[in-house]
Amino acid sequence: MSKGALLFAFNSPKYNYYEMAVATAKRINHFLDLPVTVVTDVSSIPDITDYVFDNTITITPDKNNRRDWGIWINKGRYQAFELSPYSETLLLDTDYMVNSTKLLTTFELPTDFCCHDTTSFLMHPGVPQEMLSVYSFNTLWATVVNFKRTKRSEQIFDCLKLIQNNFEHYANIHGFISSTFRNDYALTLATRIANGHIMPIEDIIPWNLVHVGKNTSIYRNNDTIFNTEYTVMFDNWQRGKIRKEYNTIKDTDFHVMNKENFMELIA
Amino acid sequence: MDTKSLITEAKARFNHNSAKAYLKDKYDSKLIVASQDGLWRADQQTISFLNSMTDDNYVIMIDTFNNTVQVNREQLLEVLKTTYNTVMHEWYKEWTELEKNR
Repeated sequence: MSKGALLFAFNSPKYNYYEMAVATAKRINHFLDLPVTVVTDVSSIPDITDYVFDNTITITPDKNNRRDWGIWINKGRYQAFELSPYSETLLLDTDYMVNSTKLLTTFELPTDFCCHDTTSFLMHPGVPQEMLSVYSFNTLWATVVNFKRTKRSEQIFDCLKLIQNNFEHYANIHGFISSTFRNDYALTLATRIANGHIMPIEDIIPWNLVHVGKNTSIYRNNDTIFNTEYTVMFDNWQRGKIRKEYNTIKDTDFHVMNKENFMELIA
Repeated sequence: MDTKSLITEAKARFNHNSAKAYLKDKYDSKLIVASQDGLWRADQQTISFLNSMTDDNYVIMIDTFNNTVQVNREQLLEVLKTTYNTVMHEWYKEWTELEKNR
Protein backbone atom coordinates (compact mmCIF):
# COMPACT_ATOMS: atom_id res chain seq x y z
CA MET A 1 0.00 0.00 0.00
CA SER A 2 1.64 3.23 -1.10
CA LYS A 3 0.89 6.48 0.68
CA GLY A 4 1.60 9.95 -0.61
CA ALA A 5 0.43 13.52 -0.93
CA LEU A 6 -0.95 15.22 -4.03
CA LEU A 7 -0.87 18.95 -4.73
CA PHE A 8 -2.44 20.91 -7.60
CA ALA A 9 -0.43 24.01 -8.50
CA PHE A 10 -1.03 26.27 -11.48
CA ASN A 11 0.52 29.72 -11.49
CA SER A 12 -1.90 32.57 -12.03
CA PRO A 13 -0.88 36.07 -13.15
CA LYS A 14 -0.98 37.12 -9.48
CA TYR A 15 0.29 34.15 -7.47
CA ASN A 16 3.08 31.61 -7.84
CA TYR A 17 1.32 28.42 -6.79
CA TYR A 18 4.23 26.24 -7.87
CA GLU A 19 6.48 27.98 -5.35
CA MET A 20 3.80 27.47 -2.69
CA ALA A 21 3.61 23.77 -3.65
CA VAL A 22 7.38 23.37 -3.28
CA ALA A 23 7.32 24.89 0.21
CA THR A 24 4.34 22.76 1.23
CA ALA A 25 5.93 19.62 -0.23
CA LYS A 26 9.10 20.19 1.80
CA ARG A 27 7.04 20.43 4.96
CA ILE A 28 5.04 17.31 4.04
CA ASN A 29 8.32 15.41 3.52
CA HIS A 30 9.68 16.69 6.83
CA PHE A 31 6.68 16.33 9.14
CA LEU A 32 4.71 13.49 7.52
CA ASP A 33 7.55 11.63 5.81
CA LEU A 34 5.40 11.20 2.69
CA PRO A 35 6.35 11.54 -0.99
CA VAL A 36 4.63 14.37 -2.85
CA THR A 37 3.30 14.44 -6.40
CA VAL A 38 2.48 17.75 -8.02
CA VAL A 39 -0.10 18.25 -10.77
CA THR A 40 0.81 21.37 -12.70
CA ASP A 41 1.18 22.83 -16.17
CA VAL A 42 4.36 23.27 -18.19
CA SER A 43 4.34 27.05 -17.89
CA SER A 44 4.27 26.92 -14.05
CA ILE A 45 7.45 24.85 -13.72
CA PRO A 46 10.46 27.14 -13.22
CA ASP A 47 13.67 26.65 -15.19
CA ILE A 48 15.71 26.24 -12.03
CA THR A 49 14.39 24.60 -8.89
CA ASP A 50 16.06 23.16 -5.79
CA TYR A 51 13.31 20.62 -5.13
CA VAL A 52 12.41 17.40 -6.94
CA PHE A 53 8.88 16.07 -6.47
CA ASP A 54 8.22 12.35 -6.29
CA ASN A 55 6.26 12.82 -9.53
CA THR A 56 5.47 15.85 -11.63
CA ILE A 57 2.34 15.43 -13.72
CA THR A 58 1.63 18.08 -16.32
CA ILE A 59 -1.86 18.71 -17.63
CA THR A 60 -3.61 21.51 -19.45
CA PRO A 61 -5.63 23.37 -16.81
CA ASP A 62 -9.05 24.89 -17.25
CA LYS A 63 -8.43 28.61 -16.72
CA ASN A 64 -12.07 29.54 -16.95
CA ASN A 65 -12.63 30.70 -13.37
CA ARG A 66 -12.31 34.09 -11.72
CA ARG A 67 -12.25 35.62 -8.28
CA ASP A 68 -12.30 39.25 -7.25
CA TRP A 69 -8.49 39.36 -7.53
CA GLY A 70 -8.22 37.71 -10.97
CA ILE A 71 -7.92 34.29 -12.63
CA TRP A 72 -8.21 31.42 -10.19
CA ILE A 73 -7.13 28.06 -11.64
CA ASN A 74 -8.82 25.66 -9.28
CA LYS A 75 -10.88 23.53 -11.63
CA GLY A 76 -10.05 19.92 -12.42
CA ARG A 77 -9.55 18.72 -8.86
CA TYR A 78 -11.74 15.71 -9.76
CA GLN A 79 -8.72 14.36 -11.67
CA ALA A 80 -7.00 13.63 -8.36
CA PHE A 81 -8.38 10.09 -8.32
CA GLU A 82 -7.16 9.32 -11.83
CA LEU A 83 -3.79 11.07 -11.50
CA SER A 84 -2.67 10.04 -8.04
CA PRO A 85 0.06 7.39 -8.18
CA TYR A 86 -0.68 6.31 -4.61
CA SER A 87 -3.15 3.79 -3.21
CA GLU A 88 -3.79 6.14 -0.28
CA THR A 89 -3.65 9.83 -1.11
CA LEU A 90 -3.60 12.97 0.97
CA LEU A 91 -4.88 15.74 -1.28
CA LEU A 92 -3.96 19.18 0.04
CA ASP A 93 -4.32 22.80 -1.00
CA THR A 94 -0.91 24.35 -1.63
CA ASP A 95 -1.57 27.07 0.96
CA TYR A 96 -1.98 24.59 3.80
CA MET A 97 0.86 24.98 6.30
CA VAL A 98 1.91 21.61 7.71
CA ASN A 99 3.45 22.03 11.18
CA SER A 100 2.83 18.65 12.79
CA THR A 101 2.26 14.95 12.18
CA LYS A 102 -1.48 15.35 12.70
CA LEU A 103 -2.52 14.58 9.13
CA LEU A 104 -1.05 11.09 9.42
CA THR A 105 -4.08 10.25 11.57
CA THR A 106 -6.30 10.66 8.48
CA PHE A 107 -4.71 7.48 7.11
CA GLU A 108 -5.83 5.59 10.24
CA LEU A 109 -9.49 6.61 10.05
CA PRO A 110 -11.79 3.67 9.26
CA THR A 111 -12.98 5.11 5.94
CA ASP A 112 -11.88 5.31 2.31
CA PHE A 113 -12.68 9.02 1.92
CA CYS A 114 -12.66 11.88 4.39
CA CYS A 115 -12.54 15.66 4.54
CA HIS A 116 -13.31 18.48 7.00
CA ASP A 117 -16.82 19.75 7.67
CA THR A 118 -16.00 22.25 10.42
CA THR A 119 -13.53 25.10 10.67
CA SER A 120 -12.15 27.31 13.38
CA PHE A 121 -10.55 30.69 12.82
CA LEU A 122 -7.44 31.62 14.75
CA MET A 123 -8.17 34.63 17.03
CA HIS A 124 -11.84 34.51 16.04
CA PRO A 125 -13.57 31.76 18.03
CA GLY A 126 -17.26 31.12 17.45
CA VAL A 127 -17.43 32.12 13.79
CA PRO A 128 -20.49 30.35 12.30
CA GLN A 129 -19.80 27.47 9.94
CA GLU A 130 -20.09 28.35 6.26
CA MET A 131 -23.14 27.07 4.39
CA LEU A 132 -23.75 26.74 0.67
CA SER A 133 -26.74 29.00 1.29
CA VAL A 134 -29.24 29.53 4.09
CA TYR A 135 -31.45 26.86 2.52
CA SER A 136 -28.70 24.32 1.92
CA PHE A 137 -25.96 22.30 3.58
CA ASN A 138 -22.96 23.14 5.72
CA THR A 139 -19.91 23.37 3.49
CA LEU A 140 -17.37 20.59 3.36
CA TRP A 141 -13.79 21.69 2.76
CA ALA A 142 -11.62 20.49 -0.12
CA THR A 143 -8.49 21.87 1.61
CA VAL A 144 -7.62 18.47 3.09
CA VAL A 145 -8.98 15.25 1.56
CA ASN A 146 -7.75 11.75 2.23
CA PHE A 147 -8.90 8.99 -0.11
CA LYS A 148 -8.14 5.39 -0.87
CA ARG A 149 -8.39 3.86 -4.32
CA THR A 150 -11.89 2.38 -3.95
CA LYS A 151 -15.03 2.35 -6.08
CA ARG A 152 -16.78 4.74 -3.68
CA SER A 153 -13.94 7.28 -3.81
CA GLU A 154 -13.99 7.07 -7.59
CA GLN A 155 -17.73 7.78 -7.56
CA ILE A 156 -17.22 10.85 -5.38
CA PHE A 157 -14.62 12.23 -7.78
CA ASP A 158 -16.88 11.37 -10.75
CA CYS A 159 -19.63 13.39 -9.08
CA LEU A 160 -17.15 16.22 -8.52
CA LYS A 161 -16.60 16.31 -12.27
CA LEU A 162 -20.34 16.22 -12.91
CA ILE A 163 -20.90 19.17 -10.59
CA GLN A 164 -18.01 21.19 -12.01
CA ASN A 165 -19.45 20.71 -15.50
CA ASN A 166 -22.94 21.72 -14.36
CA PHE A 167 -22.05 24.19 -11.62
CA GLU A 168 -24.67 26.75 -12.55
CA HIS A 169 -27.43 24.15 -12.37
CA TYR A 170 -26.39 23.07 -8.86
CA ALA A 171 -26.00 26.71 -7.82
CA ASN A 172 -29.60 27.34 -8.86
CA ILE A 173 -30.85 24.35 -6.88
CA HIS A 174 -28.88 25.17 -3.73
CA GLY A 175 -29.08 28.94 -3.92
CA PHE A 176 -25.42 29.94 -4.11
CA ILE A 177 -23.60 32.19 -6.56
CA SER A 178 -22.20 30.30 -9.54
CA SER A 179 -19.91 32.97 -11.00
CA THR A 180 -16.87 31.55 -9.13
CA PHE A 181 -16.38 27.79 -9.09
CA ARG A 182 -15.51 26.51 -5.63
CA ASN A 183 -14.17 23.03 -4.98
CA ASP A 184 -15.57 23.20 -1.45
CA TYR A 185 -19.12 23.56 -2.74
CA ALA A 186 -18.65 20.91 -5.42
CA LEU A 187 -17.20 18.50 -2.87
CA THR A 188 -20.12 19.13 -0.49
CA LEU A 189 -22.60 18.12 -3.15
CA ALA A 190 -20.51 15.31 -4.67
CA THR A 191 -20.02 13.55 -1.34
CA ARG A 192 -23.73 13.66 -0.62
CA ILE A 193 -24.77 12.46 -4.08
CA ALA A 194 -22.30 9.56 -4.01
CA ASN A 195 -23.58 8.55 -0.57
CA GLY A 196 -27.27 8.54 -1.48
CA HIS A 197 -27.91 12.12 -0.32
CA ILE A 198 -26.75 11.61 3.21
CA MET A 199 -23.49 12.62 4.84
CA PRO A 200 -21.83 9.65 6.55
CA ILE A 201 -20.18 10.69 9.80
CA GLU A 202 -17.21 8.47 8.92
CA ASP A 203 -16.34 10.78 6.01
CA ILE A 204 -15.65 13.68 8.34
CA ILE A 205 -12.18 14.34 9.71
CA PRO A 206 -12.81 14.48 13.46
CA TRP A 207 -11.18 17.83 14.18
CA ASN A 208 -11.54 21.37 12.87
CA LEU A 209 -9.77 22.79 9.86
CA VAL A 210 -7.87 25.80 11.23
CA HIS A 211 -8.12 28.92 9.09
CA VAL A 212 -6.17 32.14 9.21
CA GLY A 213 -8.99 34.41 8.13
CA LYS A 214 -9.77 38.04 7.43
CA ASN A 215 -8.08 40.81 9.43
CA THR A 216 -5.60 38.21 10.68
CA SER A 217 -1.90 37.97 9.86
CA ILE A 218 0.53 35.33 10.89
CA TYR A 219 4.29 35.69 11.44
CA ARG A 220 7.08 33.19 11.97
CA ASN A 221 8.69 33.35 15.40
CA ASN A 222 12.04 32.36 13.92
CA ASP A 223 13.56 31.91 10.49
CA THR A 224 14.38 28.22 10.61
CA ILE A 225 13.06 26.36 7.57
CA PHE A 226 10.77 24.07 9.55
CA ASN A 227 9.69 26.58 12.17
CA THR A 228 6.48 25.57 13.97
CA GLU A 229 5.98 28.60 16.23
CA TYR A 230 4.01 31.59 15.04
CA THR A 231 2.50 34.83 16.27
CA VAL A 232 -1.05 35.52 15.10
CA MET A 233 -2.02 39.18 14.91
CA PHE A 234 -5.66 40.19 14.70
CA ASP A 235 -7.15 43.59 13.90
CA ASN A 236 -10.14 43.79 16.20
CA TRP A 237 -12.41 46.57 14.97
CA GLN A 238 -14.29 48.26 17.81
CA ARG A 239 -16.24 51.50 17.48
CA GLY A 240 -14.39 52.47 14.32
CA LYS A 241 -10.94 51.83 15.80
CA ILE A 242 -8.57 48.91 15.42
CA ARG A 243 -7.35 47.22 18.56
CA LYS A 244 -4.43 44.90 17.82
CA GLU A 245 -4.58 41.55 19.56
CA TYR A 246 -2.18 38.64 19.35
CA ASN A 247 -1.76 35.03 20.27
CA THR A 248 1.07 32.55 19.87
CA ILE A 249 0.62 29.10 18.41
CA LYS A 250 2.89 26.11 17.88
CA ASP A 251 2.79 22.66 16.26
CA THR A 252 -0.54 23.52 14.67
CA ASP A 253 -1.43 23.03 11.00
CA PHE A 254 -3.35 25.90 9.44
CA HIS A 255 -4.80 27.07 6.14
CA VAL A 256 -3.80 30.58 5.12
CA MET A 257 -6.50 32.33 3.10
CA ASN A 258 -4.37 35.39 2.43
CA LYS A 259 -1.92 34.26 -0.28
CA GLU A 260 0.44 37.22 0.26
CA ASN A 261 0.73 36.23 3.91
CA PHE A 262 1.45 32.63 2.91
CA MET A 263 4.22 33.77 0.55
CA GLU A 264 5.77 35.77 3.41
CA LEU A 265 5.76 32.68 5.61
CA ILE A 266 7.57 30.52 3.07
CA ALA A 267 10.02 33.22 1.93
CA MET B 1 11.29 42.74 12.23
CA ASP B 2 11.02 39.96 14.81
CA THR B 3 7.64 39.13 16.30
CA LYS B 4 8.47 40.60 19.75
CA SER B 5 9.22 43.98 18.21
CA LEU B 6 6.12 43.66 16.07
CA ILE B 7 3.93 43.17 19.14
CA THR B 8 5.53 46.12 20.93
CA GLU B 9 5.35 48.45 17.94
CA ALA B 10 1.72 47.56 17.28
CA LYS B 11 0.85 47.89 20.99
CA ALA B 12 -0.96 44.59 20.65
CA ARG B 13 -2.48 42.92 23.64
CA PHE B 14 -2.49 39.19 24.28
CA ASN B 15 -5.96 37.73 23.82
CA HIS B 16 -6.48 35.11 26.53
CA ASN B 17 -9.90 34.03 25.37
CA SER B 18 -8.74 33.16 21.89
CA ALA B 19 -5.62 31.50 23.33
CA LYS B 20 -7.84 29.34 25.50
CA ALA B 21 -10.12 28.47 22.58
CA TYR B 22 -7.12 27.69 20.38
CA LEU B 23 -5.63 25.32 22.97
CA LYS B 24 -8.94 23.53 23.47
CA ASP B 25 -9.29 23.06 19.72
CA LYS B 26 -5.71 21.86 19.37
CA TYR B 27 -5.66 19.39 22.25
CA ASP B 28 -9.23 18.11 21.88
CA SER B 29 -8.25 16.81 18.48
CA LYS B 30 -5.18 15.10 19.91
CA LEU B 31 -7.41 13.08 22.26
CA ILE B 32 -8.86 11.22 19.28
CA VAL B 33 -7.46 7.72 18.88
CA ALA B 34 -8.09 5.05 16.22
CA SER B 35 -7.82 1.64 17.84
CA GLN B 36 -9.38 -1.83 17.49
CA ASP B 37 -11.42 -0.81 14.41
CA GLY B 38 -13.07 2.10 16.17
CA LEU B 39 -12.43 5.79 16.74
CA TRP B 40 -12.29 6.90 20.38
CA ARG B 41 -11.88 10.00 22.50
CA ALA B 42 -9.43 9.58 25.33
CA ASP B 43 -11.68 11.52 27.71
CA GLN B 44 -12.53 11.12 31.37
CA GLN B 45 -15.90 9.49 30.68
CA THR B 46 -14.57 6.77 28.37
CA ILE B 47 -11.62 5.99 30.62
CA SER B 48 -13.89 5.78 33.67
CA PHE B 49 -16.28 3.47 31.84
CA LEU B 50 -13.47 1.14 30.76
CA ASN B 51 -12.11 1.17 34.30
CA SER B 52 -15.46 0.19 35.76
CA MET B 53 -16.21 -2.77 33.45
CA THR B 54 -13.93 -5.16 35.24
CA ASP B 55 -16.18 -8.26 34.98
CA ASP B 56 -15.44 -8.92 31.34
CA ASN B 57 -12.33 -8.16 29.33
CA TYR B 58 -14.32 -7.87 26.08
CA VAL B 59 -16.74 -4.96 26.11
CA ILE B 60 -19.05 -3.62 23.42
CA MET B 61 -18.83 0.16 23.11
CA ILE B 62 -20.16 2.90 20.85
CA ASP B 63 -17.32 4.76 19.16
CA THR B 64 -17.32 8.40 17.98
CA PHE B 65 -18.86 7.31 14.66
CA ASN B 66 -21.80 5.75 16.58
CA ASN B 67 -20.72 2.25 15.57
CA THR B 68 -20.85 -0.62 18.06
CA VAL B 69 -17.41 -2.14 18.43
CA GLN B 70 -16.28 -5.07 20.56
CA VAL B 71 -13.01 -4.15 22.19
CA ASN B 72 -10.38 -5.69 24.40
CA ARG B 73 -11.03 -3.56 27.48
CA GLU B 74 -7.55 -3.60 29.00
CA GLN B 75 -5.81 -2.85 25.72
CA LEU B 76 -8.07 0.08 24.89
CA LEU B 77 -7.88 1.40 28.45
CA GLU B 78 -4.10 1.38 28.28
CA VAL B 79 -4.06 3.23 24.94
CA LEU B 80 -6.57 5.84 26.11
CA LYS B 81 -4.88 6.41 29.46
CA THR B 82 -1.51 6.91 27.79
CA THR B 83 -2.99 9.32 25.25
CA TYR B 84 -4.92 11.21 27.93
CA ASN B 85 -1.89 11.66 30.16
CA THR B 86 0.42 12.73 27.32
CA VAL B 87 -2.05 15.20 25.79
CA MET B 88 -3.19 16.71 29.09
CA HIS B 89 0.40 17.25 30.23
CA GLU B 90 1.20 19.04 26.97
CA TRP B 91 -2.00 21.08 27.23
CA TYR B 92 -1.27 22.08 30.83
CA LYS B 93 2.32 22.99 29.98
CA GLU B 94 1.35 25.19 27.05
CA TRP B 95 -1.47 26.82 29.00
CA THR B 96 0.90 27.61 31.87
CA GLU B 97 3.32 29.23 29.41
CA LEU B 98 0.56 31.33 27.87
CA GLU B 99 -0.71 32.38 31.30
CA LYS B 100 2.64 34.09 31.88
CA ASN B 101 1.54 36.64 29.28
CA ARG B 102 -1.17 37.86 31.65
